[in-house]
Amino acid sequence: MRLNGRNLHALAGPYALDALDDLERERFERHLRGCRACESEVRGFVATATALAMAAAVPPPAGLKARVLAATTVTRQLPPLLGARGEEGTRSRPARLLRSPWAPRLALAVGAAGVAAAAVLAAVQVSTQDQLNSVETHSQDIAAVLAAPDARIASAPTSVGGSAIVVVSRTEQKMVFTSAGLPALPSTQVYELWLLGPGTARPAGLLPAPVGGKTAPVLASGVRADDKVGVTVEPAGGTSSPTTTPIVVMALPL
Amino acid sequence: MGPFRSAHGPAQRSDQDLDNLLTLVARGDQGAFEAVYDRMAGPVYGVIRKVLRDPAQSEEVAQEVLLEVWRTASRFDPSRGSAATWVLTIAHRRAIDRVRSETAASQRELRSAPPEPVAVDDTAESVEASLEAERVRRCLDGLTDLQRESITLAYYGGYSYPQVASLLDTALGTIKTRIRDGLIRLRDCLGVSW
Repeated sequence: MRLNGRNLHALAGPYALDALDDLERERFERHLRGCRACESEVRGFVATATALAMAAAVPPPAGLKARVLAATTVTRQLPPLLGARGEEGTRSRPARLLRSPWAPRLALAVGAAGVAAAAVLAAVQVSTQDQLNSVETHSQDIAAVLAAPDARIASAPTSVGGSAIVVVSRTEQKMVFTSAGLPALPSTQVYELWLLGPGTARPAGLLPAPVGGKTAPVLASGVRADDKVGVTVEPAGGTSSPTTTPIVVMALPL
Repeated sequence: MGPFRSAHGPAQRSDQDLDNLLTLVARGDQGAFEAVYDRMAGPVYGVIRKVLRDPAQSEEVAQEVLLEVWRTASRFDPSRGSAATWVLTIAHRRAIDRVRSETAASQRELRSAPPEPVAVDDTAESVEASLEAERVRRCLDGLTDLQRESITLAYYGGYSYPQVASLLDTALGTIKTRIRDGLIRLRDCLGVSW
């Protein structure tokens, strides 16, 4: 067993570089659990690998940032693991250093656009459908806007608190609108979305009631380059032109 | 100023400690996430490019990884290592997963090409990054050939250590120990703290 342990110990290097197959990694992680010296060595090696990664830095592709930020607006975050940190007994469990829960896997087949699409689908499913009447809610269309190479994102605070978030694609002439932190309205009122051109206001849909402080994405088509987007509080069912002062007006990031 | 700065998020955000930024990200702070993106997207994309080579595939994986950072920020535990290590461990793992899930053996040769030089532009951040890259390169040069090749083939090339042994025509046990010895030297040369 001793020889076996020593053999395993030499795997600390390949382990830190992700150069073990699944089976060997599991064996090594079991060994780590009972080996304080290995844990310390692995940490040092992993930190060294970090330096190798930092040295490989290259400027990321231009469109990546907008897509990542857009995807975060429709992606729910994991809650903290209760009892998994700050307790003496759990601090020194080396086996969890690298694998779970730090790197839970998404299905490998899910592409970048797929991730955003799945998040949007989830958001749409929890929305209250009855308030979506005048709005296109095809999640594929929403995903298409988020995944468009020219997708741009902007956000602005509103006068009643919270923020409005908009993703626009010029080529698609479409806009996806979401919000976070807007106060809930009584059932007699609704947030209405507008596309504001020079001297005109076109109704662009009603925001669904917030769930968990966020409104599900609303898609608006026929967006023009000089449009601004605005939100007003209107009687339930919405109106054909704004009747109150907008809580937010923002230029589209085209 | 980026569109995602929150009302409280001045431009100096990016100078804040990355660990603290991740804590804010876990609370849903999108301004903090943008600052994390600005700091980490280059290394994340870079290390994935090293392993996968293909730019389109690398971008796709990088997007997954960065979104994963947003999604799982609450699971970052500073007592286990730095925020940069947490992010880049996810990135490298995800790139390796992609390599291992592929069966196209013919693609493999492309990936054994030597590491590309680090791109330099004139922003302060990338000057800093290229200085760091230079330091890493110098420390890599201080290793024996076998140590250096084993480490770069494994980490940048995405090969398992038995594959590295085969590529270098060297016994498995030798590669295992060369990787470990090389990492010890590299760690000490870089003055890595952990």
